[in-house]
Amino acid sequence: MNLATIIAVVVLAAVIFLAGRYIYREKKRGVKCVGCPYAGSCEKHAVHTKPAHSCGK
Amino acid sequence: MTLLEAEVGKTYEIKEIKTDDDEMNAFLFRLGCYSGEPITIVSKGKKSCVVVIKDGRYNLDQLLSEAVVI
Amino acid sequence: MRIAFAGNPNSGKTTIYNAVTGRSEKVGNWGGVTVGRKEYPIKSEFTKGTEAIAVDLPGAYSMSPFTPEEGITSEYVRNEHPDVIINIVDATNLSRSLFFTTQLLELGIPLVVALNKADINAKEGTSIDVAALEQKLGCPVVSTTAIENKGLAEVVEKAVALNGTTQKAPYLQADIDLHDKNAVDKEDRKRYKYVNDIVSKIEKRKTKSAQVNKQDAADKILLNPVAGILIFAAVMWFVFWVSQAWLGPLVADWLVGYIETFQEWVATQLENSPPILSALLADGIVGGVGAVIGFLPLVMVMYFLIALLEDSGYMARVSAVMDPIFKRVGLSGKSVIPVVIGTGCGIPAIMSCRTIRDERERRATSMLATFIPCGAKIPVIALFSGAFFAGAGWVSTLSYFFGLLLIFLGALLIKAITGYKYRKSFFIMELPKFKVPSLKFAFKSMMERAKAYIIKAATIILICNTIVQVMQTFNWQFQVVEEGMEHTSILASIATPFAFLLIPLGFGVWQLAAAAITGFIAKENVVGTLAVVYGLTAFIDVDELALTGGANNVAMAMGLTSVTALAYLFFNLYTPPCFAAIGAMNSEMKSKGWLWGAIGLQLGTGYTVSFLIYQFGTLFTEGHFGQAFIPGLIAVLCMAAIVILVGRKTRAHFDEQYRLHQAAQAAKA
Repeated sequence: MNLATIIAVVVLAAVIFLAGRYIYREKKRGVKCVGCPYAGSCEKHAVHTKPAHSCGK
Repeated sequence: MTLLEAEVGKTYEIKEIKTDDDEMNAFLFRLGCYSGEPITIVSKGKKSCVVVIKDGRYNLDQLLSEAVVI
Repeated sequence: MRIAFAGNPNSGKTTIYNAVTGRSEKVGNWGGVTVGRKEYPIKSEFTKGTEAIAVDLPGAYSMSPFTPEEGITSEYVRNEHPDVIINIVDATNLSRSLFFTTQLLELGIPLVVALNKADINAKEGTSIDVAALEQKLGCPVVSTTAIENKGLAEVVEKAVALNGTTQKAPYLQADIDLHDKNAVDKEDRKRYKYVNDIVSKIEKRKTKSAQVNKQDAADKILLNPVAGILIFAAVMWFVFWVSQAWLGPLVADWLVGYIETFQEWVATQLENSPPILSALLADGIVGGVGAVIGFLPLVMVMYFLIALLEDSGYMARVSAVMDPIFKRVGLSGKSVIPVVIGTGCGIPAIMSCRTIRDERERRATSMLATFIPCGAKIPVIALFSGAFFAGAGWVSTLSYFFGLLLIFLGALLIKAITGYKYRKSFFIMELPKFKVPSLKFAFKSMMERAKAYIIKAATIILICNTIVQVMQTFNWQFQVVEEGMEHTSILASIATPFAFLLIPLGFGVWQLAAAAITGFIAKENVVGTLAVVYGLTAFIDVDELALTGGANNVAMAMGLTSVTALAYLFFNLYTPPCFAAIGAMNSEMKSKGWLWGAIGLQLGTGYTVSFLIYQFGTLFTEGHFGQAFIPGLIAVLCMAAIVILVGRKTRAHFDEQYRLHQAAQAAKA
């Protein structure tokens, strides 16, 4: 096994680990779509809101 | 008369909001569009018009233009 | 402590929120940009060390809400007891804004008024006696210009100082029966009269707001039913052309050069390593992610231009001019805003449907909005227009306008299925003053989204590409697949059954099916997966492709004709969006029936569109129908039959309800 292979294996493992950890953490924080600039405002507060004048009925 | 028959550039007093839709009435009220208030026609097309209510400009569609009686 | 930001739509709440928290939430020059609650700590330089959380709320005209997004605001200030409210008031429209202010003052929560847009007032010669207003309202009033950061420190300072106090209301609603419509109406009129009295005493205007000005002249053209729509089409065409056919590719060419060099370098370093390692690292990660990142310039230019549009005040005009057309197909003029936002990302587009009052219109819009290709689909469009159509600009423009056409057709279909109630829905749109869009703001918004794009590419796309690469390299016995035996790989065996369904569309090979499937995780994956399964990266080198003509390697490797390429592109654009967008649809629609209807409609549309393009395109270019015309036709007819059945059922149900309603009325009489 040469040096390049060892470096490559380490880089590969590190990159995948970091990416996986990032996704895992974001998901744990309740973000639905990783990397979406609007992720923070998705759904979290929208569920319990009902307009006083229910429209269209 | 309704807004679509009004003269552009003139300020009128709103006589009534002619609708049986309570929601429309209440919605317009919150913008300051209710009987006794002034309304100015800025421009109008065949089916819509732009008006000034209080200090804001609004685009009204045909339904609303015909509901506001001046 | 928590400080809530409340005020009329488009008064500048989010601009102030961004300034004091350092966030970059979406802002725009029209009412209804913010559709959800947002919280973040205020920077300590504003609070002088006190811990304070700013809560940005959607705009509202009064405490009685009409749309879901307004409901968030009144519910929050009523039930969640913020410590202080900062009421942002549009100083150019005091007489309307103070109505809401007096309602907020009745809650007993200490309040600070930020008289925003002071710069416009100064320009128009309107003066407001701040001290007198302060005295009349019984709360601190500060004149601010949010876009220039003026007066914000003072507002926050005063808000922090008021923590723990109780607000005395200058005007209290009389004790009336709130169910008595006439009494409520009378009280509200009294409130307005009270506001009018205050305004007449403290405000002096040089220019009457009703005076016709240059902006009105511009509006006359922009709101003209013919000219206005042509201008909108021209503006959007310009945006697509600059971002996807001119400036975007120009920058992308340069960027892709570097990515390729890097990939080659990695591959050379790994010459003596096991081939699987080189495949994973050089092809899977660097190649796959690089292929997606390569399109970043196109996406960035587009975001920049859309941000400029949103900041100028043009969106409200577009909404007004499109209203008659949208109304005819059963939507509302407000449906235009999700459509334009949808060019960036489908999720905020679906969320922005909250500003639509009518429930059916709202659901229909959120169901259709994603037919407009989003930013993640740009790489897919650019890839195909580069590889098969010599980078022709018409491909991207066609993709967008065809998406718009599908929205119209889809809306008509929904109207037919749901049995349109002929309930008259009205449309009113405030026309904000035009302003010169801020380049700084547009740049910031672009960088923010570019960051998100890169994060997505480096996480989700990277992992997906790695998995695809592994699945392609191994077979089910976890042996490396030998050359010539690619169809035995895990990926191939999973994708082949799907590929079978795609034969009538002209692209029934497992590679393309796999790419379409990974596209549901994120649409950029289509490009990443194609890069991996075909071992390609240089997707965007338009000049070179043009030189080599039809014999370029990308098109060769995929073995598609222009017709099948177009069919495949459109299949990816108009099938359901990514899972995240489907999730957003679910939470906005709040109805499983509508959600499945939406997914079904999108699947059916994507399938039918590609089927027609492939079969009739082949008939046109080669004189005969394509493969598997009859099975495809049967599939499409089955879908049509389902639509008709569902429509019948819903309409019957609807008629029944209506009859019950009549029966009840008759019984009463």
